[in-house]
Amino acid sequence: MIKIKLILLNIVILVNTVYCDRTKDKIYENISGHMCFRRLNATHQTGCSSAGKSRGSVGVLHLISSEDDINFIINDPPSPPYAPIILPNHFTRENIIKLRDSNYVSAIVLVNDTSDLDNFSQESKCPNQFFRHAKQPVCDSKNQNTVWNPFGTGLLHENFDIPIIFLAKKEESDKVIKCYNDFNKASSRKSLCSIEINSFMAASGNSEICIRRSRSLAIIRQLTFCDPLQGKNVYGTLYPREIVNPINRTNDIDEKFIIVSAHFDTTSMFDGIALGAMEFSSVATLISSAHFLKKIIKKDKKSKYNILFMLFNGESYDYIGSQRFIYDLKKNDSFPSPSSYTRPLTLDNIVMMIDIGALDDFDSVSIYHLNESESFASKFTSAINSYNNKLKLNVNINAVNSNNLPPVSAQMFLRENPNFPTLIFASKKPKNKFYHSVYDDVKNMKFSYYNTSEDFDQLDDSTKITHFPSDSIQIKIRNVATLISLGLYNLLNEDNKYAENLIASSTLVDEFLYCYLKATKCRLFDSIFVFSNDFNGLDYPPQRYVSVQAAITLEATGWAYRVLGFVLSQKIENIQKENCTVLPYYWIPGSLKTGECRLTTQNLSYALSPAFEEEGYNYKSNLYSTWTESTWNDLSARIFLQPSTAHESLTFIIGLIMLILSFILVYFINSKAEILFNDINTEHVALPAQC
Amino acid sequence: MVFSSGISFSSFVWLINFFWFYDSAFKQPPFDEQNTIRKYVIMSGIGTLFWIIALTTWIIIFQTNRIAWGEFGDELSFIIPLGSK
Repeated sequence: MIKIKLILLNIVILVNTVYCDRTKDKIYENISGHMCFRRLNATHQTGCSSAGKSRGSVGVLHLISSEDDINFIINDPPSPPYAPIILPNHFTRENIIKLRDSNYVSAIVLVNDTSDLDNFSQESKCPNQFFRHAKQPVCDSKNQNTVWNPFGTGLLHENFDIPIIFLAKKEESDKVIKCYNDFNKASSRKSLCSIEINSFMAASGNSEICIRRSRSLAIIRQLTFCDPLQGKNVYGTLYPREIVNPINRTNDIDEKFIIVSAHFDTTSMFDGIALGAMEFSSVATLISSAHFLKKIIKKDKKSKYNILFMLFNGESYDYIGSQRFIYDLKKNDSFPSPSSYTRPLTLDNIVMMIDIGALDDFDSVSIYHLNESESFASKFTSAINSYNNKLKLNVNINAVNSNNLPPVSAQMFLRENPNFPTLIFASKKPKNKFYHSVYDDVKNMKFSYYNTSEDFDQLDDSTKITHFPSDSIQIKIRNVATLISLGLYNLLNEDNKYAENLIASSTLVDEFLYCYLKATKCRLFDSIFVFSNDFNGLDYPPQRYVSVQAAITLEATGWAYRVLGFVLSQKIENIQKENCTVLPYYWIPGSLKTGECRLTTQNLSYALSPAFEEEGYNYKSNLYSTWTESTWNDLSARIFLQPSTAHESLTFIIGLIMLILSFILVYFINSKAEILFNDINTEHVALPAQC
Repeated sequence: MVFSSGISFSSFVWLINFFWFYDSAFKQPPFDEQNTIRKYVIMSGIGTLFWIIALTTWIIIFQTNRIAWGEFGDELSFIIPLGSK
């Protein structure tokens, strides 16, 4: 009898250990998405945060398919608070501000559906409007013809006390919409499908407050409220520079540089998803130009100018990288850092800047030229025009002489010195309809990877056709890059003109764009870096948002370092791998995978705003970028069924009745205890025997 | 002795003192040292009341004004709640 009971018990336990499930897993369904998070500057906080209590903000799901649905929510709806499900084409400034300001909305869910979507940009109409050179006319967001981002809604700079989640994956948005359709669509007041979003942000107020708190508490505990946005700039020189001892290095005022720059980073409203594809064409143009110029210059002859190619990081946030670069140059001993074993540079070493701005539209490229110095600009522009005709590149160029400049890094150089000779390449009219949003993707850029197996290190021949059609982005970038390099070639070699037919490599552009916009497991990266342990890249592109890392270098920046290093490096013959281990000598597999030693010139420099380096910086001075990012614990979301109010009241009343009944019952039993428990044998305790 | 140890601003000791000796001071029939005990219990009670009023006033002032005091408010705080200005 007992044995059978034991066996039965064992079976029951076994069954339970295999099939048991936590109750909470039956109630909640996890939703994975990208959260809008909080960033702060000297005066404001922007972005989103969920409620601080419990596990986040809870709202009843409601699908918005038209303006009527929005009016339904903001005008005394039946079961507040709500979490409207919005499609991108309804994610307009007017709708979102209405929802935010109503008292009935506790969260917003944005689903990924691009049907009917013409434009989608949360950046302001006047990007970086408070950081401009002295003569820049004030950008008026009401005048569509003069703004630099006409499609912008400015939501990136608004403050939301509710969370906003973007469901990029179709399965997640299907789960949410199905839950809504099954439960909430019918108007009967039964259980309602709700979402709970946890994206609580620690920092609040503005950067000054959160940085002050982070610094003062750092002694007591490792808690920071916010971190400054920071990254690294990547740079390289066309000609290798003299190697000097860092201990008593001095500046050489006769070392003259022309800077060619582009901005490297991008951003979006949501964490972890910001490809910035169309924005990236300026970087691709710079890389292609550097590669071509290095190939065509005479190796033995040194020109009186050197070229400094710079990729500035953090430019989307009030020009962090370029401000830091100028600040370091003014300190006279900070750029390049002593560990580079080269002489420091100052602003006087720079004779001209060529800034490659947003090339949204290659059909018409404007060259802004300001402050002509030694007739550089006119020499450069006339050189470009003549090569454009000679090589039949068909780039539509127009020169502009105006103080109304696009938001580019050059603005910071001009702010520092209004007479700085500057040339800015930009498309004639801003055409990026998805600027700084999650939809600035390869489709927006019209990039498709041709996957040719040509050697990307070989230059194209302008007389021969390539694999790429003439209207492809690869050819357009190649042509502009060729012109920039040939203009520079004329400045470097005053007596010689370029007489060959070779132009920049379109295959390099194709491979480079693939690596940065599709996957880091790619041919270009595989040829410029010796991977170890069977790892050769990931299946997704690297993140170019500047982020907050101080100690480590982001993957995207590391790759820019290697690519810029590769295109500006010189192959050194007859050195074996064992002897090619100390920088500036670097061993790479090469485009033909034969292995080669290269003499490199590239390096990294800090892209951290001087506001966070200076003691007692006055945050009201608007001198430097003050952007910081709040810290957070975790970001999560889940959906569940909330019982209706009637059901909840019923449960509560039943519980209350049970409570009162139990009190009555216990009192009743207690008072009649003698009658009820009369027959229990109380003599089972034996008294000790008398000794 | 208990009262003297409470002299060093330990208002909680006074509170305990008040309740512990309340019976002996007021409820029991008179005995020799009851007057002394009674004096100490009353003084403990007054001391506790004073501290309750003082602390409540300071706590109300601090909690309502901490944010408005900006940097000074942060310097006075040991724990700054996350997510609040």
